[in-house]
Amino acid sequence: MRPLDPRLLRRARAARRYVALTAALGVAAAGIVVVQAFAIAHTLGPAVTAGSAGTPLALADVAPWLGVLVAALAVRAAVAWAQERWAQKAAADVVAELREQVVAHTVALGPRPAVTEGDEGAEGAAATATLATRGLDDLAPYLVRYLPQLLLTAILTPALVLVVLGLDWVSAVICVVTLPLVPLFMWLVGVMTAGASERRLRTIERLGAQVLDLLAGLPTLRAFGREIGPGARVRALGDASRRATMGTLRIAFLSGMVLELLTTLSVAIVAVGVGLRLVEGMIALVPAIAVLVLAPEVYLPLRRVGAEFHASTDGLAAADRAFAVLERPLPTTGTLTAPSLPGATLVLDGVGVRAGDRGLTAPAGLTTRVPLGTGSPGGGRVVALRGPSGAGKTTTALVLLGLLRPDEGRVLVEPAGTGGTAVVDLADVDPATWWPQVTWVPQRPALTPGSLRDVVTDGRAVGDDALAAAARTTGLDEVVAGLPQGWATPVGLGGTGLSVGQRQRVALTAALLDGGPGDGAPPPVVLLDEPTAHLDARGEQVVLDTVRAWRDAGRTVFVVAHRASLLALADQVVDVRSRAVGPAEAVAS
Amino acid sequence: MRAGARRTGPLRRVLPMLEVRWSRVARAVALGTLALGFSVGLSATAAWLIARASQMPPVLQLSVATVGVRAFGTGRGVLRYLERLASHDVALRGMAALRANLYDALARGPVTRVVALRRGDLLARVGADVDAVGDVVVRALIPAGVAACVGLGSVVLVGAFLPAAGLTLLGCLLLTGVLAPWLASRAAASVERQGAAARAEVTGRSLELLEEGQQLRVGGRLDDRLAALRAADARLTRSTDDGARISGTSAAIDAGAQTLAVLCSLLLGIPAVAAGTLAPVELAVVVLTPLAVFEATSTLPAAAVQLRRSREAARRLVALLPDDDAAVPRPAPRRPADGLLELAAVDAGWDDRTVVAGVDLTLRAGSVVALAGPSGVGKTTLLLTTAGLVPPRAGSVRVGEGGALFVAEDGHVFGTTVLENLRVARPDVTEDDARGALAAVGLDDWLGALPGGLDAMLGPDGADVSGGERRRLLVARALLSPARVLLVDEPAEHLDAATADALVATLAGHAQATGRAVVVASHRLTPLAVADEVLLLGVAPGAGAGARTAGVVARGPHAHLLRHDAGYAWAAAQEHAETSPSPG
Repeated sequence: MRPLDPRLLRRARAARRYVALTAALGVAAAGIVVVQAFAIAHTLGPAVTAGSAGTPLALADVAPWLGVLVAALAVRAAVAWAQERWAQKAAADVVAELREQVVAHTVALGPRPAVTEGDEGAEGAAATATLATRGLDDLAPYLVRYLPQLLLTAILTPALVLVVLGLDWVSAVICVVTLPLVPLFMWLVGVMTAGASERRLRTIERLGAQVLDLLAGLPTLRAFGREIGPGARVRALGDASRRATMGTLRIAFLSGMVLELLTTLSVAIVAVGVGLRLVEGMIALVPAIAVLVLAPEVYLPLRRVGAEFHASTDGLAAADRAFAVLERPLPTTGTLTAPSLPGATLVLDGVGVRAGDRGLTAPAGLTTRVPLGTGSPGGGRVVALRGPSGAGKTTTALVLLGLLRPDEGRVLVEPAGTGGTAVVDLADVDPATWWPQVTWVPQRPALTPGSLRDVVTDGRAVGDDALAAAARTTGLDEVVAGLPQGWATPVGLGGTGLSVGQRQRVALTAALLDGGPGDGAPPPVVLLDEPTAHLDARGEQVVLDTVRAWRDAGRTVFVVAHRASLLALADQVVDVRSRAVGPAEAVAS
Repeated sequence: MRAGARRTGPLRRVLPMLEVRWSRVARAVALGTLALGFSVGLSATAAWLIARASQMPPVLQLSVATVGVRAFGTGRGVLRYLERLASHDVALRGMAALRANLYDALARGPVTRVVALRRGDLLARVGADVDAVGDVVVRALIPAGVAACVGLGSVVLVGAFLPAAGLTLLGCLLLTGVLAPWLASRAAASVERQGAAARAEVTGRSLELLEEGQQLRVGGRLDDRLAALRAADARLTRSTDDGARISGTSAAIDAGAQTLAVLCSLLLGIPAVAAGTLAPVELAVVVLTPLAVFEATSTLPAAAVQLRRSREAARRLVALLPDDDAAVPRPAPRRPADGLLELAAVDAGWDDRTVVAGVDLTLRAGSVVALAGPSGVGKTTLLLTTAGLVPPRAGSVRVGEGGALFVAEDGHVFGTTVLENLRVARPDVTEDDARGALAAVGLDDWLGALPGGLDAMLGPDGADVSGGERRRLLVARALLSPARVLLVDEPAEHLDAATADALVATLAGHAQATGRAVVVASHRLTPLAVADEVLLLGVAPGAGAGARTAGVVARGPHAHLLRHDAGYAWAAAQEHAETSPSPG
């Protein structure tokens, strides 16, 4: 893994600014370290020399250098303040930028992003959610702690070696020889111990999982009255885990020891060398003190890089996961303008979608013609999608929405009055021109937080009359009447605070208002997915009334239907079936 | 309830559960002090060496100092290595003890806490919280101890040469060792407090976009929502600004204090040399020693933040723990006058509310009773109360010899063999018992296909168990338990209709054959034809809109309810309509 991923700089503007700022502050820090060393040397050196000679100095004799030291103090504090303050801000900005990109890109990937290796559908979705909400936070310690030290190693260390070279070339040679030894030995220790620690880490993970397994099973154990015995086992597992962990640490800390040993020993060698050359008069006291003060500073950034190593691996791993999402290719979309849907005909021609993880094609070979409603009152249609669970009804809905491309076959649109001559493949249509013609109520409708009225209108300008009429159709008016705060009742994200049935009514009301007054023409096609699941008799009646209202207005209603009542309402029933993928076919795909 | 915990501080309440041996802590602190002490020694000796060397004495007079410098330089790395091992050993012992003690406390405490464990990601949090509490040793307590020892030692060293310089060094150390950590901790608190709302919004908006993104695209609302996410993130960044400024101040103090200490030593030392109270060589020691000392306090701001984090983690763990005084003498079960189990006017519910009220029920040998009603009505709560896992809010629960077993919908399958999973029910289950129970629930084919049979590993490390197989495995385990009453929650979940109905029939047949009693909660009604009696739970139609307490709205055999309860008949009819179209 590279210590600074160039993709981070490419993708996050805030990261570029931050690296530039940190580099500038690093240069300033290097300057301050040198100035401070010189100031100390030029006050302490003459004071010791003069004191030894029996003619002690007064403070006034070194006042200018003391002034420099005061200034160094102020600037040093200011640089540290700026670094910390802007690092935190930059980290928050970088995380925000990447979060937005990850979320936007994931949405653009569609309802079933192409499954890549080692990243299964549902698991991948949960991993992306974790990444977007918490995972990216791991970047903050990397940016705030690790990256500055890395840049300091690149800027300050060579600059200080050059300064030492100007003061005392022997010490500079010692630094130049020992500095590369640090990464070299750390690498060697790492290589020699990698296998052993990985084996032990797996043991530790297994032991930890067993403890959590017992804790997770505690409700079950208690139900059986068997909860007391495993306490001893938790303790034994904890001991085993500690012994295994200590074994790993004994090896893992070796690299830290090498780091400390080499750096402090180098400082000691520099100090002894300078001391011995002083006795022989080969170096003066002032440069000797400057070298002594600078020597630990040469190694300090490298030591800190080592200490913050974990922040770096966690942060870079988080960035890596983000880039893995961002680099998944987006599905291609069409560019043609969608034909106007009223009076048109949808032709499904052998439509099939592979359900990757289940070894199924669902739907499979779906072929049918669906004439759409005319758009004028009385000319509407209800089309039911029927089939056992898992047959691909919802998937068919996603295909009709243009969110999913069929793996086999195609969906064609025959515009009204063309007699099938100007047929357009849905795959070639720009979704942005298709979606305004469709209202979609999925199984679990998205509800934005806000007052009940805001949730239903979702930012649209809707008059009280239209709202009341829609609420009457869906029975939401009864719900509102029962709520102490009425339309002002607060609703949480995802509809928390409402029951399942109430949520359904809210979603239907919102769908009724979609494209109502002030929002252009109402979409000619409505797609309802499983509208009667988990509903009682009254709830089902509401759905039937709403579907009838749409048909009466001339619109086309596709319903994914389980129940007899909805099927009875349909003008056309489309049977959706799945087909198992044969072993040969599964391997081929 | 938590007043006691607040008074003593959550960390102090949890720390005894770490069973820390203070001699081990002292050893780690001693090693750490020596390691950093070597660093300070290196700096002081090198300063003396150079200053003395500049006076050009015979080289032999410097030999002790040169050896000292080299020894300090070599020893530090080794000592630091030993210290890190010692402190991690203390922490790991603490975490292991804490996990075990937490398990014991949860196992012995009131069951409501344990039931709460099943919800959400609480369990994963417990694992992380235990680690965070353990980290307090390595990242806070031991560094603080080391900093105190090294700091005081250095002050004494410098003070021995020049008392005033010792005092200024002490002052500067207090700045970095007390003020800077305090500021860092305040900064963390400020970020947490001010950012909490913004962070929750960012999380909510991100999840909404990820989960409902397709709907937002089709509805043309995607750009609005992305803008809302950006705005929420901007608020989150702004909310961290105060914290960032405070931690900036903390960093500035840390960076400036070292130079300040050197400056003070010069300002005090040069006149002292002139006054003859300080030798010139000693001046070098007084001025240059502080350069090495501040490494000891540089870890303390992070330590203070860790202390805060560990305290928050401890607070969450304390909330799981039973109150000391409430430690659980379980009430002796009261025996029913008649039959195996008796509920009399029972109100079932949680700490704050009643979910189901006024339930009467008597179970005799061979009874099969069903609880029906929509999801969320309170069937599970009533079963938990019947099992004695949750105390009734009113009325009485009387259980006969052998007790009642609650079989949870999400019962746990342990990461061990099939046989050991079944032996959770009873330690003396034989292989033949196990095979018989698995066959009774229709898992004999599944067992035959498992490599290793009864010795096959299950759970995360072993064979995958599908939702339906898992349900049946849990029922098989229940059949093996010695309990005379089985309370089975949603046995049909994750099963296709035919298998689900067969499983309920198996349970009923088993009860009638063995003289046990079975209560089945199910939102699916068709299989309930095998029950002697069905209790239909629901909110009475006459209740106001705000009323959420359910009760038994109808009861009787399945056939009776089909005839006399319109809602029940309608719901049952829907199940037939759903299953009627033949699969393609």
